[in-house]
Amino acid sequence: MTTHAPPQTSHAAVAAVDLVKVYGSGETAVRALDGVSVGFGRAEFTAIMGSSGSGKSTLMHCLAGLDTATSGRVLLGGTELTGRSDRTLTRVRRERIGFVFQSFNLLPQLTAAQNITLPLDLAGRRPDADLLAHLVRVLGLGDRLNHRPSELSGGQQQRVALARALVARPEVVFADEPTGNLDSRSGAEVLTILRDSVRDLGQTVVMVTHDPIAAAYADRVVLLADGRLAGEIDKPDQVSVTDALRELAARA
Amino acid sequence: MRATVLRTQTAAAARRPGRLILTGLAILVASFVVFGTVLVQQITERTVRDNLSGTPAVTDLVIGSPGEPPPTVADVRQIRAVPGVAEAVARASAGISVGEGYLNLQADPGTGPLSTVRLIEGSYPDQPGEIAVTPRTAERLGLSVGTTTSGTGGELTAPAALTVTGVVETAADAGYDAYAPDSAVIAWARLTGVERVDLRVSADASTEVVRQRVSAAVAGQPIRSGAEVREAEANAAAEEVGRLFILVGMFVSIAVVAAALVVTSTFRIVFAQRMRQLALLRAVGASRGTLVRALTAEGALTGLVAGVVGVVSALALGYALPAVLRATGRAVSAPGLPLATAVLVVIGAVVLTVLAVLAPALSAARVSPLEALRTASTTAGRRGIGVLRLVGGLILAIGAVLAAVATISQLPKPDQSSYDPAMPLLLLVGSGALAFFALVALGPLLVRPVLAVVGWPLRQLGPLGRMSVGGIGGAPRRAAAVSVVVALGTTLISGVVIGGTSLQVLADREMALAAPTDFEVTGNGATLPPAVVSRAEAAHGALARVVPYRKVDDATLLRGADRLGAVESGYPMSDLDVAVLPSTGDLDVAQGSLDDRGPGRIVLNSWVARDAGLRAGDTATLAVATRRVDVRVVAVLPGDGPLHAGILADPADLDRLGVPSAYTGLLADAAGAGEDGRTAGVRALRQAIAGSDGVGLTVLADERDRNDALVRTLVWIAVGLVSLTVLIAVVGVGSTTALSVVERVRESGLLRAIGLSRTGLRTMLTVESGLYGLIGASIGLVLGVPYAWLAVQALGIAAPLTAPLLPLAGLFVVLVGLTALAGVLPARRASRVSPVVALGTDG
Repeated sequence: MTTHAPPQTSHAAVAAVDLVKVYGSGETAVRALDGVSVGFGRAEFTAIMGSSGSGKSTLMHCLAGLDTATSGRVLLGGTELTGRSDRTLTRVRRERIGFVFQSFNLLPQLTAAQNITLPLDLAGRRPDADLLAHLVRVLGLGDRLNHRPSELSGGQQQRVALARALVARPEVVFADEPTGNLDSRSGAEVLTILRDSVRDLGQTVVMVTHDPIAAAYADRVVLLADGRLAGEIDKPDQVSVTDALRELAARA
Repeated sequence: MRATVLRTQTAAAARRPGRLILTGLAILVASFVVFGTVLVQQITERTVRDNLSGTPAVTDLVIGSPGEPPPTVADVRQIRAVPGVAEAVARASAGISVGEGYLNLQADPGTGPLSTVRLIEGSYPDQPGEIAVTPRTAERLGLSVGTTTSGTGGELTAPAALTVTGVVETAADAGYDAYAPDSAVIAWARLTGVERVDLRVSADASTEVVRQRVSAAVAGQPIRSGAEVREAEANAAAEEVGRLFILVGMFVSIAVVAAALVVTSTFRIVFAQRMRQLALLRAVGASRGTLVRALTAEGALTGLVAGVVGVVSALALGYALPAVLRATGRAVSAPGLPLATAVLVVIGAVVLTVLAVLAPALSAARVSPLEALRTASTTAGRRGIGVLRLVGGLILAIGAVLAAVATISQLPKPDQSSYDPAMPLLLLVGSGALAFFALVALGPLLVRPVLAVVGWPLRQLGPLGRMSVGGIGGAPRRAAAVSVVVALGTTLISGVVIGGTSLQVLADREMALAAPTDFEVTGNGATLPPAVVSRAEAAHGALARVVPYRKVDDATLLRGADRLGAVESGYPMSDLDVAVLPSTGDLDVAQGSLDDRGPGRIVLNSWVARDAGLRAGDTATLAVATRRVDVRVVAVLPGDGPLHAGILADPADLDRLGVPSAYTGLLADAAGAGEDGRTAGVRALRQAIAGSDGVGLTVLADERDRNDALVRTLVWIAVGLVSLTVLIAVVGVGSTTALSVVERVRESGLLRAIGLSRTGLRTMLTVESGLYGLIGASIGLVLGVPYAWLAVQALGIAAPLTAPLLPLAGLFVVLVGLTALAGVLPARRASRVSPVVALGTDG
């Protein structure tokens, strides 16, 4: 286990350098991120772990251009995201980033197919028909495309969300507790799909989770505690992740 | 548990009073309108009563009444001689032809409590042959103090001198008013009877005793008390106010219906926002009944606050308005303080709000406790409507159709003489209300078909347009709730636009016929001396247009040898060329066309056409005395003819019928505008007439002014009332759009996260908001135009049906723009929220 590893910014898909995020000011100020430097390799499946309030969600929001850091830098494939205008960040999110949320976040009024192609619609691009067909087949959504979210099960909804995140071939897919609202079987399906997308499509995936089982699907686990990097695990399995978390809790 | 549940709901309301007001704003406005209307009616009635210029207030007894043989001059003397009579004033009047004009000489003491005039110049007349005139009369007839003229009138046939000794002010100055004491009027005009005698009892005598004495002195004359007469006069005036307020009441009841609809849909959305919270309460053990009661209590609280605020603001305005108007020199009475009505309006507001909140509360309380555990974004997508709602909606729709059919069956027939519009109008309001509740119930089913049509161009505009249309189509219930309100507003405004246009056409038509030009000069049965016509035609500076005409009063229509129609005296016929006058040039017709006029062709007014049984295209024989001409009817007018002519014929036909070629009258317009131009025109015509015997001048423009003022007043009242109702509609759109955007903050967050720019989100939400308007305005026009036509018919004023396309199109655009505008602020707020915060929002 190493701490404060030099960030692999050169070949990283997305990287944070000395990232600081402060909420509030004065006495009540909270340092959600306190100088985090970390890189996420291309075609790699990384899990960010940590207890509640460790700053893992804030890190993901900053990396994804959803939130702006107080200081430090975020690099997406060599592009500086720090200090960019909302307009630029919006375009980056639209064209280079995909999202999967815990609560699916599908638009209720659109069909599954419309939800999948929504980011491309917004960008005014046409979906890659082969990729779309591939995703629909792999995700088993063939007979569900004309259904609305309310007519789908939780697992199906999250698979639609996955397809939405993957269809635009983003540089990075960020997944925020993607299995948090799912039963273990549906959760396992979703995680397998994420891992396969890394393997088959060369997709970069960054996933925030607190579930060791979910983290075990990843190539690497990054641990956060109190807004700082608290360690890394390569080729994690359920046991090593659980041990690391326990050690982290003991140290606190 | 119950108290806790109630507390959770009412505490939320108390914490955010702004939202409480926003939710109840429609009710607030409705209470304001209802109570305001009550106050305005009071103000109007009191003003009418207070400013009544009839019998003076100090009159104790009135002898003589219309419909009875009038008191004679001898009676007047007898009454004056009765002990205890302080003052007795005979009311008499005589129409006097003065040279080229007309004077209405009225008896008035000039001084004392029974006088209705006030001397402002010279002295009040006291000898026969002396008169005082009003300022406008002096201006019109070129009279001033000291002028002597001569005239005939009353029983006087040989012209006698009239000297103006003074100028007096009266409550109403018609421009032909002269005053003198009753003795002078009676003596000058050789009157034998008077209209009535107004009597004041001396302070030391009993009215009852004097009444008996007068009764004995002038046997058979009806005697009424002054108060009685004043009351009758006031009631007659108030009755007109009351008739006007039937119309007002119709608009107000629509406004109330609008408010009920607005507040229902507002509550629906407010509760939808709280679905998770309600589900949580259900999950921890609150029963449905408890929830319904809590939500209804919240509705009652909203209604109470809104009602009180509305009534108090109306009261404040009701007292401020007369004060302000008085400051600008208008005599307007203050309203009373109708406390009972105020309490009733507040109770009404509470009841209405509770009724409005029931349906949303019941459906909100049906929320499954599981909903609390589910994600909010999957709950909004219910698209269809339940069977119960479908059946209810269909029943309402059938009811609306039945009420409309009943209205149509009660519409006035062409020849119906007495027609009371109250019942058909009430039925129509009922039908409209039912139709709208049907729309509320069935709305979600209508949204998608309507959207498919009106949203088509937007869908071609790219992903944003497609998403806006998709966003609306995907949540038809929400769209229906908002659109119904817009539809109501559209229906109302289109109704007023159509009604106003119809009324305008009607008024224009009647004015074109009754007063086609500013002035009319007639020979009063004889022909005009040719010099009068040529002098008038030469007066270019003062007169813009001089159109001489011939008129005969005894034209008849024959088929073969049989005389058509039942009228003994024959029809009035004129050769006035309607195309020459701008006001009659575009006269509308009931049948045929005015363009086909010419020799051998005639135009009939509706009454002659009916009497003679002729239609456009029929042929008949036109006869004057023994001469005949075969003619064809080319057009039938929808009402009277210009100058009340029953038959309009070509001048050549009048020649063939042996009508003398000398003109019987001429029409003229003033060259200049306003009162000055009119006075110049009057002077020029008076010079043209210059002493020609029997030639009279009428200023038709005065009549037109009075009618224009009436139409303008009516249109303003309608605009005022509708703007209040439209205010409710706009309030509804604004609050519903704002709430619907708040409800979807999470959705906005997601769209921002996956790459929709702020501008994009703002555009999308604004377009959606405008789409609500587009759907609503489309439905509103489809319903509004037929209903407006029905209402115009139901008013029973024989107004034509109009379709003012340009104003309606403008209205459509403005409404869609307004609804889009209503979405701008909420859209801005939604686009400002950071996507992280939006995604984290609960609900």
